[in-house]
Amino acid sequence: MKIHSHIQHLGRYKKYQNMVELIHKYLQSKGYLLLDLPVMSPTLIPESYLEIFETEFQYMDTKEKLYLTPSPELFIKRLLSEGVGDCYYLGKSFRNSEPHSPKHIPEFTMLELYKTGENYKYMAREVLAMLSYVSRGLNGTNTLVYQGKSISLENWEEMTVAQAFERYASVSEDELFDQRRFVRRAQGKGYAVEGFSYEDLWSQMYSQEIEPHLGVNGYPTLLYDYPVIFAALSTPNLDGKTAQRFEFYIEGIELGNCYSELTDATMQEKRLVDEYQERKKSGKIEHPADDGFVDALKKGLPDSTGIAIGVERLGMIMTDASQIEDLKLITIQ
Amino acid sequence: MAVQAGNLKKGEFINYQGDIWQVQKTEFYSPGKGSALMRTKIKNVTSGKTIDYTFKSNEYVDTVEVNSIEMQYLYKDAENAIFMDQQSFNQYEVPLEMVGDIIQFFKEGETMYVYVHDEKPLSIRPPASVTLKITQTDDAARGDTVGNAKKEAEVETGAKVMVPLFIKQGEIITINPETGEYTGRATQG
Repeated sequence: MKIHSHIQHLGRYKKYQNMVELIHKYLQSKGYLLLDLPVMSPTLIPESYLEIFETEFQYMDTKEKLYLTPSPELFIKRLLSEGVGDCYYLGKSFRNSEPHSPKHIPEFTMLELYKTGENYKYMAREVLAMLSYVSRGLNGTNTLVYQGKSISLENWEEMTVAQAFERYASVSEDELFDQRRFVRRAQGKGYAVEGFSYEDLWSQMYSQEIEPHLGVNGYPTLLYDYPVIFAALSTPNLDGKTAQRFEFYIEGIELGNCYSELTDATMQEKRLVDEYQERKKSGKIEHPADDGFVDALKKGLPDSTGIAIGVERLGMIMTDASQIEDLKLITIQ
Repeated sequence: MAVQAGNLKKGEFINYQGDIWQVQKTEFYSPGKGSALMRTKIKNVTSGKTIDYTFKSNEYVDTVEVNSIEMQYLYKDAENAIFMDQQSFNQYEVPLEMVGDIIQFFKEGETMYVYVHDEKPLSIRPPASVTLKITQTDDAARGDTVGNAKKEAEVETGAKVMVPLFIKQGEIITINPETGEYTGRATQG
């Protein structure tokens, strides 16, 4: 890897920084507290699919492993259970083993926002209002133009995950939730199924057949109610099949992921043990699981909804850039 | 040879649904549940058609062995670029669709590498850099010294590139043919 400087991006960089300022302004005017949090931690929440960066603290004969945080969630949930109230983090997060691409860099900026006493529907309205505020402040209009296409921030295009599979992949709701039938259907569509799980094939079909259609009809798309298996840390719906999670997209780009937070400590703990086991099995870097996080959940997480938004990706949309690199003055790759 | 899709690289050739395709773009990502994915853009070497396809990163894909043969670029017609193998003197036609936009930077008589599979030319291995002479550009207006200001210039193949203001007509420059960007002045002699 090398250091690259891009002084030619100065104009867009300034606009991107204005966008970040507008986000702070909007959230603080709504009473969210800005959280200043560490990015190095001695423990992490086990997540089976994330690879991490590890480093070491050294002093004389003392050595201690530290890990760059892939998300600020472990800190924020502690604070929520202790009564911090509505709050947000806007800063760096780190994910290893995912190479640079137009939409991803290993060291990225994340906005993680929590509202207490509300669920994901409230957060959907809040996020749209924030996008609209930022767009008006930055471009003087509620209608974005991204790569030649116009997107109105007046409304969401709303769709459940089941509706999207029906519409874009011709997979019925029954097939979607019946793992065996879904795998057969994937095989019929020509996907390689031998040795792959329902989750593997679901994610592949979602990427191949659903995502390209999201956020391309003149409005951002809000895709909600994911199968429980894909929303393990969110509140289950009464249908027994789905849980309260949404993602939102503009021009096929995934921008944010929201949950009505799961407050059931027993279910949370089971989930963490499963993730820890799966991490071990997959040969990923081992790190101590964060017991304080589990204690915080046992103490009681208030009813709340949280969303994580990729700030650089939002910057691409707001400044009409085709890749994250175009927002940066210095990149390492 | 079978490789895991997560290891596919731009420029490689694969067998997919009975046809040969060249990988144009790859994007690895972890959706959070299930295996990581490899999103690709692939181009059919027969029809020139490009599609997006998402592989599971650990799914096996058949790559196609190709020879990279040094050939001389002779000329192009409406459909093909014509190359000559300098060893055998055989001529090969490569569809312009497979050569892509880089053809605008090719000078007749230059040598470059052509990918050949079963005697059939598939596409060109893009040179990292091409060296071309500027045939037309205006002198920059005095006082116009903003950091990264650029102007348009035409090179000897007829292609247009953006160059820094200090570059003059008649100078020889280097260009990255894949991005069409000016990369520097060619060192003389």
